Amino acid sequence: MGNITVAKQETLGKKPLQILEKIRENLEKLNEKMEVMIELQKHDKKDLQSLSSEAPLDVMTLLSMPDHLRKTAMAVCRLGRATADEIAEQTRRARAVESAYLNQLVIMGHLKKERKGRKAYFYVDRESQG
Amino acid sequence: MNVVGKIIAVHSYKGGTGKTLLSVNLAAAFTKRGKKVCLFDLDFRAPSLATLLKVEKADHWLNDYLNGTCEIEKVLMDLTDRIHNGGKLFVGLANQSTEAIRDMSAKDRKWEMRALGRLLALRNSLLDGKGIDYLIFDTSPGLQYSSINAIVSSDLVIVATTSDRSDVDGTKRMLKELYELFEKKTEIILNKVLEAPTRSGKDFQAKVKDIYQVPLLGIVPCFCDILKAEGNTIFAEEKPDHPFTRILDEMANTIEKSA
Repeated sequence: MGNITVAKQETLGKKPLQILEKIRENLEKLNEKMEVMIELQKHDKKDLQSLSSEAPLDVMTLLSMPDHLRKTAMAVCRLGRATADEIAEQTRRARAVESAYLNQLVIMGHLKKERKGRKAYFYVDRESQG
Repeated sequence: MNVVGKIIAVHSYKGGTGKTLLSVNLAAAFTKRGKKVCLFDLDFRAPSLATLLKVEKADHWLNDYLNGTCEIEKVLMDLTDRIHNGGKLFVGLANQSTEAIRDMSAKDRKWEMRALGRLLALRNSLLDGKGIDYLIFDTSPGLQYSSINAIVSSDLVIVATTSDRSDVDGTKRMLKELYELFEKKTEIILNKVLEAPTRSGKDFQAKVKDIYQVPLLGIVPCFCDILKAEGNTIFAEEKPDHPFTRILDEMANTIEKSA
């Protein structure tokens, strides 16, 4: 037991920042999963596939969206491909808020998400659909 | 990078408010000011720029670019020789054939979504890539897919309106339920104004501002010369001293200063 504690302390001493970042990353992933579950509950659906796998983000869809989501979707349209940080910079809202809205738009089938290392990029998949 | 007012959509609620005439002459005014300008006809239901600019035919149309069958460079037509002592003027035309109009009116949501992507990409290919200073979209009136695509892709929406009551009401609705929802910078041009000399004072401007709640870019009186020209004249080139030319130049100046 004593050895394990020492080993843990050493690891913490060596890479505290990396460990904290790892924890944050995991929390973010957990948060995203929670958002998916909440969204599925809202729509009374059992799985993500049946919610919406194909929902083109055309201008009429943009028009009919709630204001808070439209703002986020418009920022993605402007930037083309962006992280939650970049969207937050455009909309001047908190990153966590944008992250939630972006993931909601992904769940609704309007945006696609791609992970590259620690960063998650959001974009409108205009070319591959139909 | 400040891009305010770089991409301009000229729109209106009703047809016949003077969008094309204003678009062409605003483009000409910017060109006269030494700018590199692109003017696009996005009114695919009733294309008119080709006729107005007396262009008989084109190898590639904006229809082709939006269909994804050619690059935007193929569509651009250099009409710089139409404007002397100025910058550069390019136009992109909409196909006027009945078949093309029918084809464009039968597009589905996915196509419109891709078309939006291609319009958004113009910021990169034309403004950043070719050093175009102003890209002007002449659009279809009302709530058409192509017009809303143009509005979403623009930095500034210029709404041409007349004193016709149904036009005033429709314009007010669009200001609230379209441009505002997209958080677009919007300005009004009051066109075909009768008795303009006595009504163009500060009181009149304040009244217009009060009705529409957005800035007034300019007031254009009803000129018989415009009717007589039958849609043939680039006023900035052919009638440089005409009041219409001066009004359009003032508008170009206002937009330039706000950018």
